[in-house]
Amino acid sequence: MNHSLLARPARAGVGVVLLAIAVLLASTKPAEAAYAQIEGSGSTWSQVIVQQWITDVSSNGIKVTYTGRGSSAGRKAFATGTTDFGITEVPYQGSGAQGGDDPPPKNRPFSYVPIVAGGTAFTYQVKVGGKLVRNLRLSGDTIAKIFTNQITNWNDPAITKDNNGRTLPSLKIRPVVRSDGSGTTAQFTAWLDSQHASDWRPFFGRSGLTSYYPRKGGATGASGSDQVMNTIADKAGGNGTIGYVEYSYPVNKSFPVVKVLNEAGYYVEPTQYNVAVALTKARIRKDLTQDLGGVYTAKDKRAYPLSSYSYLLLPTGANDKRMTTSKRQSLADFMFYSLCEGQSKAGTYGYSPLPLNLVQAGFDELAKLRKADPKVDLSNRSVTKCNNPTFVPGNLKANKLAQIAPMPAACDAQGQGPCTTGTGSAPTSVEDATNGSGGGAASGTTADGGGGGGAAPDAGGIDPETGLPVGSASSGGGAASVAVQTELVAGRAGDDAIFGTLAAVELLAIVLAPGVVAVALRRRGRSRTGLGS
Amino acid sequence: MRWRKAVAAVAVAVVGTSVLTTGGVQAEGDDVGAFQQTRTIERVFDEGGEQRVVDTRDFTVRVDHTQNLRGRERVRISWEGAHPTGGRSTSPFGENGLDQEYPVVVLQCRGRDGKQPRPALELRPETCWTSTVQQRSMLQVPDAAAIWRSDRFADEDERGALSGIDELPSSCGGTIDGFSSHVTPFVSAATKAEVGKTYASCSSDTLPPEAAVDAAFPPAEQAAYSSKDGAGDIQFEVRSDVENESLGCNQETACSIVVIPIMGISCQQSDSRQLNAACRKEGRFEPGSSNFDGQGVDETVSSRYWWSESNWRNRVSVPIAFGPSPDVCSVLDDRKPVGFYGSELMVQATLQWAPDYCGRRDRFRFQHNVLPDLASFELMQKDEIPAAFVSSAKEVEGAAPTAYAPTAVTGFAVSFVVDEPGNAGERTTLRLDARLLAKLLTQSYPASDMGRGHPGMGSNPLSITADPEFQALNPGLDTAPQETAAVLMSLSESSDVIRGLTTYIRQDPEAWAFVSGRPDPWGMVVNPSYEAIALPVDEWPLQDDFRPTVTQKCLEANNDTPYLTRLAAPVTSFSKIADALLDAWPLAQTKCNGLGTDQFPYALGRADRQGVGARFLLGVTTLGDAERFGLRTASLQTTRVLDDEQDFTATGRTFVAPTRETLAKAVAVATPGRRGEPFALEDGAVRKAGGYPGTLVVYTTAKTAGLDRATARTVASFIRIATTEGQRPGSGNGYLPKGFLPLTRTGSTAPLFAAAQRAASDIEGQTGATGGTDGSGGGDGLGGGAPVDTGAAAAPDPDAAAAKQPVDEQLTSLASTESTTSAFAAWFLPLLVLLLLGSAVAGPWIRVRAARTEQP
Repeated sequence: MNHSLLARPARAGVGVVLLAIAVLLASTKPAEAAYAQIEGSGSTWSQVIVQQWITDVSSNGIKVTYTGRGSSAGRKAFATGTTDFGITEVPYQGSGAQGGDDPPPKNRPFSYVPIVAGGTAFTYQVKVGGKLVRNLRLSGDTIAKIFTNQITNWNDPAITKDNNGRTLPSLKIRPVVRSDGSGTTAQFTAWLDSQHASDWRPFFGRSGLTSYYPRKGGATGASGSDQVMNTIADKAGGNGTIGYVEYSYPVNKSFPVVKVLNEAGYYVEPTQYNVAVALTKARIRKDLTQDLGGVYTAKDKRAYPLSSYSYLLLPTGANDKRMTTSKRQSLADFMFYSLCEGQSKAGTYGYSPLPLNLVQAGFDELAKLRKADPKVDLSNRSVTKCNNPTFVPGNLKANKLAQIAPMPAACDAQGQGPCTTGTGSAPTSVEDATNGSGGGAASGTTADGGGGGGAAPDAGGIDPETGLPVGSASSGGGAASVAVQTELVAGRAGDDAIFGTLAAVELLAIVLAPGVVAVALRRRGRSRTGLGS
Repeated sequence: MRWRKAVAAVAVAVVGTSVLTTGGVQAEGDDVGAFQQTRTIERVFDEGGEQRVVDTRDFTVRVDHTQNLRGRERVRISWEGAHPTGGRSTSPFGENGLDQEYPVVVLQCRGRDGKQPRPALELRPETCWTSTVQQRSMLQVPDAAAIWRSDRFADEDERGALSGIDELPSSCGGTIDGFSSHVTPFVSAATKAEVGKTYASCSSDTLPPEAAVDAAFPPAEQAAYSSKDGAGDIQFEVRSDVENESLGCNQETACSIVVIPIMGISCQQSDSRQLNAACRKEGRFEPGSSNFDGQGVDETVSSRYWWSESNWRNRVSVPIAFGPSPDVCSVLDDRKPVGFYGSELMVQATLQWAPDYCGRRDRFRFQHNVLPDLASFELMQKDEIPAAFVSSAKEVEGAAPTAYAPTAVTGFAVSFVVDEPGNAGERTTLRLDARLLAKLLTQSYPASDMGRGHPGMGSNPLSITADPEFQALNPGLDTAPQETAAVLMSLSESSDVIRGLTTYIRQDPEAWAFVSGRPDPWGMVVNPSYEAIALPVDEWPLQDDFRPTVTQKCLEANNDTPYLTRLAAPVTSFSKIADALLDAWPLAQTKCNGLGTDQFPYALGRADRQGVGARFLLGVTTLGDAERFGLRTASLQTTRVLDDEQDFTATGRTFVAPTRETLAKAVAVATPGRRGEPFALEDGAVRKAGGYPGTLVVYTTAKTAGLDRATARTVASFIRIATTEGQRPGSGNGYLPKGFLPLTRTGSTAPLFAAAQRAASDIEGQTGATGGTDGSGGGDGLGGGAPVDTGAAAAPDPDAAAAKQPVDEQLTSLASTESTTSAFAAWFLPLLVLLLLGSAVAGPWIRVRAARTEQP
């Protein structure tokens, strides 16, 4: 018995030594890839997450600079060869586009690589009784009429109808549009042209999408997503405004977004789930650009209609003037990280991760960098090692988020509700989304929105499956424990000693208490019998 | 239990050695390599066989540091004894600096002066970096204007009709009789993959790839300005091979900064009278004058001919050495990263820390995702993320018990770029009080004539430069109003920095009186839109509503956003503000262009970059960014002894700049909260103590109840590593960058350090739950397994702590309290278990024996 007890630790010790040697070996410097700085410009729609990816890869020694100047400027800079990459929501528009010709680069072979998905959100500022409305719902038709200056007041019957009879006060609607060449504008107007042509085309004076929104009437122009957000959040002049930006902007500013009516008759928010669901209907062309017709009309109750992908312009030519081996390696690994692991944080930033088949398609494009320059190292870079939240083992086409996406609450249905919970706080977990608790943002509701259909608030009140009950139930206990520890601290020098002591006392208590109690009981019993006798 | 000790011993060895190696490689050199050199420089003309020295000077160059440099680091270069510069251009960078007379050209070049073991290692114009064709090539110049061919110091080849290259590439035009051309090709560094390439650099397609028009990195090379007395002072940004692969400077490849005082070409006697005259010109601009509209200059004294032997021979070359490229993470690491979220204040520190995690298999993969403090805290409460970085106590409905572990002492800066009037260089210090910041934030300066009509502030000075209060604190600056000097570039999102900034204003009697509606001593009043705004706030609101009357068509079409709001144009991150300051590029959305047609509508956009010599920009940045990019930071007023009604002067007022000392003074007065709670950093107390008012403590916050054990351990280990190893000052991986005050076991940060260790223990032990009443926590909280769990969880870390001990001793004299105290649990618990086991066996035995003895 004794022998075996000693033998085990000895064996364990050998194992530990081996493990330690392995650790020591593993901690030596990783094989060094030579990187050189790369620079790009373009979309502000994607900028929030791209900026974070750039921060992340800097620990890999990859230096990337990115300036958000709008997709149009990004495409142009890439075409003229002044940047290493560009980021854009829409492909090159060719000649005759509004706002100037937009020809693809002449002597620069390139690919479109999808980098992230997201929803073009409508954020707004409407105050009722001094309080911000946070649960506005609008149909696509109403949105189209607002941005083509046909609906100009928040008390319009169409808006009232969208909100199931709740009428907003009389307040002029001020649409805020991008003044610079913008991919967000292009995405929005592509949807207008496809779904609301009868409103859009007479207003635009032609058909098709545009990167430069035709600002008319009471609309305000602002340059870049930051400034659109500033204009809408403006405390003095912002009341009555509505504008379009990627969902991450209102989320980061805790600002509400419109729940948009989808084909299935539900008003939904562009959460990572609803965007993922909608994009299962996207048709991807051979050059990886997107055909969103099916997304706009997706029949799923959860689908957010204005969902889309954003693209990186990747220089694939072997004779690209700006490219060197180390720059290609930087681009390849920056994209490898972004497409792979970078997707896992998309949800918290107000985006939606790419499904794995698109990640794989992106990888195939990256392979062209190696074709252009065999010294580029792409070995061991596989989509299955990505920690991508959309990953369903064995099925690259499936999107796990779309599978687990929660159904909208009953009060989000057309003719029901409206739900009183707020928007714009990017619920990121399924539980959260299911409950519609919306984090801290739930406080603001319409002044008259009290009697909602109630599914969501009810769920929010129950909370049993979330972490909340554990937290709230134990909060009293937690406070007590803090108090106990404070006393102990006062009495002793070291902190960890307290824990040791505490643990020891508990251990002793657990082992000894039953015995002590038993002994005490028995003694009492004995003495009682003694008294009785 | 003995094997656990074995683990400990091995772990000590392993962690100890690996940390020591990294520590050794990245030790922060004390020798920064300050440089100074004086030499005599001259310009000589040949006249009738005689040599006439027309100008001679003693030129001295000083450089503040030259060793252990990193990419994009700025070094300070100053000089005296140069020829005064005339005709200053709006920017000294790249080709913009060409049209100036007698500038000092500063370039980064590969190679070293003097005899080198191999010719490839020698410094020559061909290894010096410039960004444009114009800086290297003269193409098809009429012979009578080809002054470089009159250079008396050049050798015969250099004086030919085509020099610098054997044959011009087709894109650079051909050779024509009666015309001369010179090119200075650029030779790129040889890399592992490729040999050095020669770029003719005479057309855009013969330039190296880093030299692109509109590059994200503006040119670093400068044709800098010397004042009337021949002195100059600049910040020069060096580029490593990561930023500029063609130049290729790194730890192995030696490089130099070359400082060339332009004296003008030394001319030989030529047959052409025209050429003689052109070569011998001595400048048409007065010293100290400007040439902002880019008029022609006397080329012979311009920076265009820096490569001519006459100028090149006058150079001072400063050897520089780059530090080791940091160990980096591999992109192939497939461990799932652990994402901490929160405060941007931490970014410079976490950038240096991250590689120290991923490079080690015994640690986790650390990532810092920047997100507003409150949003991060909420995500942490919702169990979406393990921990959040915040700088103040957060109230969230239904929050679980949470511990705040002090992790970094840093703060915000009001950074600036301000030029002295009359081209006398850059202002290096600026004094601001809370009222001036309040005036800027509340948009109380009308900014321009457009803002004049703003109701209620018609008699306010147009911008801070015209404000007598600012002038009294910062005498000698240009007092003319400037549109962009009416705003403080700031953040649009919620942040504890904005809370700190507005607390500083709220706590300052003068500033608060101003915000509440009381005019300043000169009668300036607060913008009525912001009067009596409740402070402090987390997010600065935009609430001005003034739209000026405009006549210009483009502005008329873009007048719905209030003018001052467009001017303020806050952004979503502090790094964007740092970039704006670096490039002197205001964020203001005031530039209106377009044709008013359908195709090119009128649109508002960002204002133009400011010209060097006339810059004035103020912005809120993190202290980390300010230090990393060499931004200048303002001193903020702490105390004043005068009465309100006294004449306003700087005397009697104390201003404190952000330094490690003033950060230390600030945190010295921080009062601890209850266990696990954040410290109270009272603005008033900080000021009284002479601390920097922008000081903020960043906390790692995590739940002390409801976290799974692995996450709890991860967070605890991060806190322990960050507050010990992570606090060693230095620029290497795992070290603490400038802009942060190290937390130590002794001294003014000791209470913060101790609180961090307690918080780490509370998080690791999840004491918020285990200490609770047994009814609510559920069976597993207090079951028989719990104490054993605590023991198991606590044990590995004492080992790790013990492992760190030798390293700590090497680096500092930190007492290893942590390891001693934790060791207690490590030996006592096992002992106790043994004891209990013993008694468990002994108990029944005794009882049985007792029963036996009782029975009979």
